[in-house]
Amino acid sequence: MATKLARRRSKAAAFGVFNPNHVVGGRVAGLIVAFWTAIALLLWIASPWKTLPTPPEVIHALHDLWWNDGLGPELFTTLKLIFHATLITTVLALGLAYLTVVPAMRPLVQAASKLRFLGITGLVFPLTLLTGGGYALKVALLTFGMASFFVTSMAETVLEIPRSEFDHMRVLGASELLIVWEVVVRGTLDRALEVLRQNVAIGWSMITMVEGISRAEGGIGALILNENKHFRLEDVYALLLVILLVGLGIDALVGLLRAVLCPHARLGKVRR
Amino acid sequence: MIPGASVGEVVLDVKEVGLTLEEHLILDGVTFQVKDRIREGITTGQVVALLGPSGVGKTRLLRIIAGLDAPDSGTVRGLQGEELPAGTVGVVFQDYPLLRHRTVESNLLLAGSIGGLSAARSEARTQELLKTFGMEDRAGFYPGQLSGGQKQRVAIAQQLVVPRRFLLLDEPFSGLDPAALEDVSKLICEVANLDEFNTVMIVTHDIRAAMAVSDTLYMLGRASKNGKHVPGAKIVGEYDLVDRGLAWQKGIMERPDFVALEHELRGLFRTL
Ligand SMILES: Nc1ncnc2c1ncn2[C@@H]1O[C@H](COP(=O)(O)OP(=O)(O)O)[C@@H](O)[C@H]1O
Ligand SMILES: [Mg+2]
Repeated sequence: MATKLARRRSKAAAFGVFNPNHVVGGRVAGLIVAFWTAIALLLWIASPWKTLPTPPEVIHALHDLWWNDGLGPELFTTLKLIFHATLITTVLALGLAYLTVVPAMRPLVQAASKLRFLGITGLVFPLTLLTGGGYALKVALLTFGMASFFVTSMAETVLEIPRSEFDHMRVLGASELLIVWEVVVRGTLDRALEVLRQNVAIGWSMITMVEGISRAEGGIGALILNENKHFRLEDVYALLLVILLVGLGIDALVGLLRAVLCPHARLGKVRR
Repeated sequence: MIPGASVGEVVLDVKEVGLTLEEHLILDGVTFQVKDRIREGITTGQVVALLGPSGVGKTRLLRIIAGLDAPDSGTVRGLQGEELPAGTVGVVFQDYPLLRHRTVESNLLLAGSIGGLSAARSEARTQELLKTFGMEDRAGFYPGQLSGGQKQRVAIAQQLVVPRRFLLLDEPFSGLDPAALEDVSKLICEVANLDEFNTVMIVTHDIRAAMAVSDTLYMLGRASKNGKHVPGAKIVGEYDLVDRGLAWQKGIMERPDFVALEHELRGLFRTL
């Protein structure tokens, strides 16, 4: 009886990774990732697509880009751009989202949120005239692209705070300003950082395009367009790899910031 | 009648309170007074229960007494005939709201600082309450890490950091196991008896649990006509359990007159 049960258990454990809603431990999760990574690498090596460079070619190209073509400084230029735009976006978008608590300001916030339907292509010319082009234009484009989405998500978050959280503070005798600080600002910080994380991803995915609009300052986007022009395919793939990895790195960094600033946030996440 | 017991001044005066929500009459001239219980040689606060079936308007009335909502008509006054704006009456809502980005300790400290206590006083009160409520070992926990019963105790403690005359509890017995129910009942009496003028008001549909801790019951209900409820709840009955000798005693719940009254109230409940 007991052995039968035990046998069934071990069988369940072995096939658990295929069961819906099954919880797996850290080691098993690592094994699953390793498995898929191996599959991906195998597919790459044995690729039937002739245009796809082999891993050694890409690694060689990467080496070349770094030591001869100044990939390091270009990457730094790009990172500076995204950092600058993210900073402005965050201040602007959070400021606007928190302002939704003031009735007189709500139309302004709603208007800012609606601007996301414009897209950025049509704004290149007007913003060029406004900013004078160059670096300022790129910051403006990125900020516009990110902030309109950031405002939308954050304003929604602020609106969704249940009334009971405000009442709870009122009952303690808190002033409305203190309530805004505790409930609206601090109480949604974890969600703000989550929204920030998504918006940095949006910004990062736009960055090569934005850098292509004004190439004089360089950056990884300008670099990739240059390689495109000369049909250096392995260089292009190497740069794509860099973009992907750096993007993931930035994402992890914001995630880390959230874990440090809002340790309570992970409590909401329960593994099924 | 219990020897040495009498009543004194009115500590809470609710007069002709009316409330209409979206053209539905919810409260229609709710009138009742809570009087100071006097017991020779013992400091006795008041524990009163506002009883009524689900949906009759108890929570709405509680919000009005707490100063969170304004009634459409009528008044709520305290011991000296003063109004009771939000912040003067302690309230523990049904879902025990706490600031989820603050730890248990930090939630209590915040209540102290909002209430104008000095940092040292606030700290002392917090430690004292954590001890009284058996939550010392949970001081550094976030609300997301507490059980329902623990959250409730912290929520009550938070309302007591700054001493207050009134404590309103909305459905404090819901979802509690028998042992926890007994703990909370004991706690309610302790809180009430801290000061002669303290009043704890329990808002609940749990007749038996309310009878076990209260000295007065107020029944909120609607009249019926041809088997249908007439909109608008008022106080339809007041039961002085001290007068009936059914308060302040051990083993009261087994007494035949207690059981009889419970039965009577249950019957009445079905018609409200
Ligand atoms: N915002 C609202 N608009 C209209 N009716 C409401 C609103 N909130 C509550 N009510 C109604 O008021 C009545 C009393 O609600 P409540 O005080 O929560 O009842 P309970 O006695 O269970 O605490 C309910 O019948 C409910 O449908
Ligand atoms: Mg209720």
